[in-house]
Amino acid sequence: MTKETYLHEKHVALGAKMVDFAGWHMPVQYTSIIEEHKTVRNAVGLFDVSHMGEVFVSGKDAIKFLNKIVPQDISKLNYEKAVYCQLPNKNGGLIDDLIIYKLGIQSYLVICNASRIDEDLNWMVRNKRGLDVKIDNQSHNYSLLAIQGPKAAALMKKMGLNTQQASFTIKEGEVCGIKVFASRTGYTGEDGFELLVENEFSEELWDKILDNGQEFGIRPIGLGARDTLRLEAALHLYGNDLDENTTPIEAGLSWSIPKDKKEDYNGKDVIMAQLQNGVEKKLIGLKMLDKSIARHDYEVYFNNEKVGKVTSGGVSPVLGANIALAYVKNIKEICTGAIVQVMIREKLHDAEVVKKPFIQKRNKVII
Amino acid sequence: MSITEKILCSKSHEYLLDNENGTYTVGLTDYAIEQLGDIVFVELPEVGTEFKKNETFATIESVKAASEIYMPIGGKILEINESVVETPEILNEDTYEKGWLVKIEATGDDAEMKDLMEYEDYKEELA
Repeated sequence: MTKETYLHEKHVALGAKMVDFAGWHMPVQYTSIIEEHKTVRNAVGLFDVSHMGEVFVSGKDAIKFLNKIVPQDISKLNYEKAVYCQLPNKNGGLIDDLIIYKLGIQSYLVICNASRIDEDLNWMVRNKRGLDVKIDNQSHNYSLLAIQGPKAAALMKKMGLNTQQASFTIKEGEVCGIKVFASRTGYTGEDGFELLVENEFSEELWDKILDNGQEFGIRPIGLGARDTLRLEAALHLYGNDLDENTTPIEAGLSWSIPKDKKEDYNGKDVIMAQLQNGVEKKLIGLKMLDKSIARHDYEVYFNNEKVGKVTSGGVSPVLGANIALAYVKNIKEICTGAIVQVMIREKLHDAEVVKKPFIQKRNKVII
Repeated sequence: MSITEKILCSKSHEYLLDNENGTYTVGLTDYAIEQLGDIVFVELPEVGTEFKKNETFATIESVKAASEIYMPIGGKILEINESVVETPEILNEDTYEKGWLVKIEATGDDAEMKDLMEYEDYKEELA
């Protein structure tokens, strides 16, 4: 059965177009994906991302356990800090990508993708054997609201949140008197916050953010714009750009992998060998040179040879061009500035290999 | 008489307008546009191409996805609307007056129109 978030009625009342996504009935757009996208780039937008999973990990062996399941070094994660992580299988392929937060001594919060919660939990349980650790899936008790855009901090400050908070940190706080975990993270390439709130307060929080946000030009934003925003920022989407047959090195996530972590973790041998010896395929950014749009699974050609596939593609409202992420054969000729072709409805269309992200990441607004 | 009183609609959401000079105009219904959202790409066939009823003659892409557009009746393309290729968002603004796709000369017989619906019936079918 399709699940609904606690904000479902709000979306329907706002006239959102609803779609099924990862087992959830979610708003894909309220007015126009392009307008919503621009609102987040220029002002501030409010997202219901309550479909995401929240798993609390605690216990004497919490660090040991997390260090076994992610390549990142959780022993180096400080109190109230967050780190982008992956959940590799034994072959280095990715079961999911995650954000892990340190909430206290031996206490962590893991945010996972809605579509992968079951797989993640199964994997975690399989890996906890013999360890003193509690894996507590609280996804059904929490709602998650994202406030994203250059005016997000001003809005949160107006609503009483202490915004003296660095990127990738989490703090317990209050927004208009409602208790939240406020995390300075997001999935848009903009400054912003993600507020974890108990379900029973989510509607009140949603309404108050929209009310208080009026003066900042706030709009509710659907999953459609969430996808175009993350694509412009070249942020991976699990299921498109990441899967169980793709390692973090192939996915261009080497920057997130510590080279000196001593503990063993799932897939470490493969991941370390790829860091040393290189990989067969790589993730590149493409900008279409005509008006055509590359989409998921379209083939990529270079010098008349099939070299890979598009994993995410669409419009970039900011660039006024169409962009894509594609996995291609890792050869040096396919480099920034090179021209490749994308097969669209049986015709080849030129695309230029460009640097990722497609747009400059905006710095945190300090207020 | 408003344009929606003159058109016939297909189940796949194309409209057919009789220009009363032996030609027909084909486009997408407002319902289709509403469902697609922001239109960002339109690909139209070449003038002179012939298509059978229900054959794909155009592709329209919204931000979310690509959709094929089918011929409501068999016909030969007489004219294409270059302005929607150049500025696809015209379809979101006005799909009936400015946002038409192609003008055709019918090549099939009248029986091909049997399954097309008047706008009011089409709307009811959707409800």
